[in-house]
Amino acid sequence: MAILRRIKGKLTKISKRQEKARIVKGEQKKIRGKDIPRVEKKEVLGAQETAVEKTKFYAAKAPVMPRAVPQDLPWGYGQDKIVLQVRDPWWIHAYWEVTNPTYERLKNELKNEFYGARRILRVYDVSQIIFDGKNAHRFFDIQINEHSNSWYIDTGGPGRSWCVDLGLLLPDGRFIMIVRSNTVCTPIEGPSWITDEEWMIPEDMFARLYGMGFGLGRSSPVGKGWEERVRREIISSPGVSSLASPVKKMPAEKKSWLVVNTELIVYGATEPDAKVYVQGKQVHLRHDGTFTMRFAIPNGKQVIPVKAVSSDGKEERSITPVVTKETR
Amino acid sequence: MYKGYLCLVLHSHLPYVRHPEYEDFLEEDWLYEAMTETYIPLIYTLESLSNDNIDFRLTMSLSPTLISMLSDGLLQDRYLRHINRLIELGHKEVERTRWQPAFEHLAIMYLNNFCKARDTFLRLNRNLIAAFKRFQDSGRLEIITCGATHGFLPLMDICRESARAQIKVAVSHYESVFGRKPAGIWLPECGYHPGHDEILKEAGLRYFFTDSHAVLHAAPRPKYGVFAPVYCKGTGVACFSRDLESSKQVWSSIDGYPGDYVYREFYRDIGFDLDYEYIRPYIHPDGVRINTGIKYFRITGSDNKEPYDPHRAREKAAEHAGNFMFNRERQIEYLCDFMQKKPIIVSPYDAELFGHWWYEGPLWLEFLIRKIVSDQKTIRLITPTEYLSENPRNQVITPSLSSWGWKGYSEMWLQGSNDWIYRHLHTASVRMTELAKSFPRAEGVLKRALKQALRELLLAQSSDWGFIMGTGTHTSYAVRRTKEHILRFTRLYEEIKSNSIDENWLCDIEYKDNIFPDIDYRVHQ
Repeated sequence: MAILRRIKGKLTKISKRQEKARIVKGEQKKIRGKDIPRVEKKEVLGAQETAVEKTKFYAAKAPVMPRAVPQDLPWGYGQDKIVLQVRDPWWIHAYWEVTNPTYERLKNELKNEFYGARRILRVYDVSQIIFDGKNAHRFFDIQINEHSNSWYIDTGGPGRSWCVDLGLLLPDGRFIMIVRSNTVCTPIEGPSWITDEEWMIPEDMFARLYGMGFGLGRSSPVGKGWEERVRREIISSPGVSSLASPVKKMPAEKKSWLVVNTELIVYGATEPDAKVYVQGKQVHLRHDGTFTMRFAIPNGKQVIPVKAVSSDGKEERSITPVVTKETR
Repeated sequence: MYKGYLCLVLHSHLPYVRHPEYEDFLEEDWLYEAMTETYIPLIYTLESLSNDNIDFRLTMSLSPTLISMLSDGLLQDRYLRHINRLIELGHKEVERTRWQPAFEHLAIMYLNNFCKARDTFLRLNRNLIAAFKRFQDSGRLEIITCGATHGFLPLMDICRESARAQIKVAVSHYESVFGRKPAGIWLPECGYHPGHDEILKEAGLRYFFTDSHAVLHAAPRPKYGVFAPVYCKGTGVACFSRDLESSKQVWSSIDGYPGDYVYREFYRDIGFDLDYEYIRPYIHPDGVRINTGIKYFRITGSDNKEPYDPHRAREKAAEHAGNFMFNRERQIEYLCDFMQKKPIIVSPYDAELFGHWWYEGPLWLEFLIRKIVSDQKTIRLITPTEYLSENPRNQVITPSLSSWGWKGYSEMWLQGSNDWIYRHLHTASVRMTELAKSFPRAEGVLKRALKQALRELLLAQSSDWGFIMGTGTHTSYAVRRTKEHILRFTRLYEEIKSNSIDENWLCDIEYKDNIFPDIDYRVHQ
């Protein structure tokens, strides 16, 4: 039996630990409609920074008083252009605008061929060259539809330069360029292979510095010590206390829930220039001599002596309500 | 003998939100909350250190939009109104919790905080910037600048004139406020695009900060990783990169300090918890529940939140400060074996993390600084300027495109929800350059219109709008601000071009978007 009890105890401990882990690492939870910064299980660069920055900009959930809504922005600005921007080492973003006169001109020039043509983005790898339209290392095409005006392009190539033509691919394979973009360069996604002769740095030492720089902590004594401490601290956090709280448990994930709190309002009136004391503390009177107080009320009996003293201090009146609260 | 350095950096910024056309404007609360919970507590921290003559070093960026808001008369009046309302609520709370001692003493704590914040605000003649300026003049705080409106520069590379305007307007604004040139800059969101160091050099800035991978992925490889600054090839502007290990300890809500169960819970505010009729006068006038700043619970580690205990939290903050220092000492000792020069650990944080998000943050910072200055001899606090004068010889490389935002590049500001803004922003940039070049010496109404056009463009460029759209919740204000500034810019552009400036309307938007009164529109080229 003793063994069984011990095993049971251990299992409870383990399940509690898992519970704790779930709470700490849980998916994005909502408490009364407020977003809790989600903690990524896999570490994503900048995730915490984003979560914290978000808390600076809370906004009301419900519709706020009507504010003048600005009119819409124009769809375009009457220019033929395509602009490339880098999103990350792999992806670039293109947005473009081609005006109707340009399409009309192409229709006139290409006649029937125009209608058989496909709209494409031709993505050129122009790393380390001055691009003249013909000397790209390679290119690939992305077919786009008539209505799209922007596109995320998976270049598959960190550390390279890119240029994009928006144009028409004719059935016979000819490509008619409409607009050419700027050139952008995607960053490399790891350490550079270029090592300066004079500043040569041994591979293993760099690896250790690199690891530390990313807070991996594996190779450094710091990480381990810290991990141990955190573990100790989390485990030693205390259990549930029985203190009354103005709002009790608010299950976040259960559908059905109930919160009931009780507060007591004590109000009355006397001469506006009198002094009123509730439980021995002076209260603020309104101009008409009325007063209102509000108390969160715990279980049990509350004796609330109310005393009014006239302005000349000669007259004194007392009333003492007694209130008992019980929760079943 | 010190073996290395620690460079603590706080980045403070809020977007320009000021709506004189409304009596109450919800988003203005971002500023008021940050004032009560972050900026004023940080002033206490700095005052307390100075009063005890602690020889600390701290680097702090104050964004030009934040400085402008903190110095604005209307917002100062409104802050006073805001804090007075909170004090009134504080009094009621002390009364309401009379029979619940665990909450009553917290209500008293908040009431005291609010009263003290108001006293400090009035003592500083309503302008918190004056306090920071004084600490800078004492030589212990280094204040650096930021993008004029916190525009994310990598997505302005297509029109560098705008990146230049962001920097130059910021630098001249800094000079007018602090009476000296800024030594360095916090690039908005740590967004660095190769080549932008040229603009920094032009503006006389000596250094900037980046995230780790800007330097770790630089070419050629950095000899000392992020533990020594590098000079940008071609310009010699110094680049300090953050150390992620020390960052994580403070940023992360799991591995980091702020998630400790003893600390105050951010998400349980009486604005949401208490009876509607009772709290109604202290939430938004249209009756929408909002945060009041009074929060009674600690993180606890479960949904059944327990009352906050400030004494335990204080002890924990001291313990965490000791832990942070201990880890930095070990880190420096470890690095010393590798490096032929003294390593520097750069630890930058959002200032609003301290106090607003992590309630005990300012306390932690004070404990940390006190401990480092008096309890050990391994690390020394330093500012980038001091470091560079002591260690002028550094490696020359080209840092990589990077940011400290989500996934480390531009995706936070360039994704499905916000990529539509760039065609408008870039067109406006091109048009602004055209205007600046067409009117090299404008006067009178034309000059006012040109100045306003640049203000509108800069305001539209705040990275905050794209950021909020990117988070996907409550995006309407961010969308509205973007559209509004672009539309105002476009109308100004058209009126200037057709020589038909509507002066009444100009007056109206000058009154609404009144930032940077002395702006020089010619910097946008």
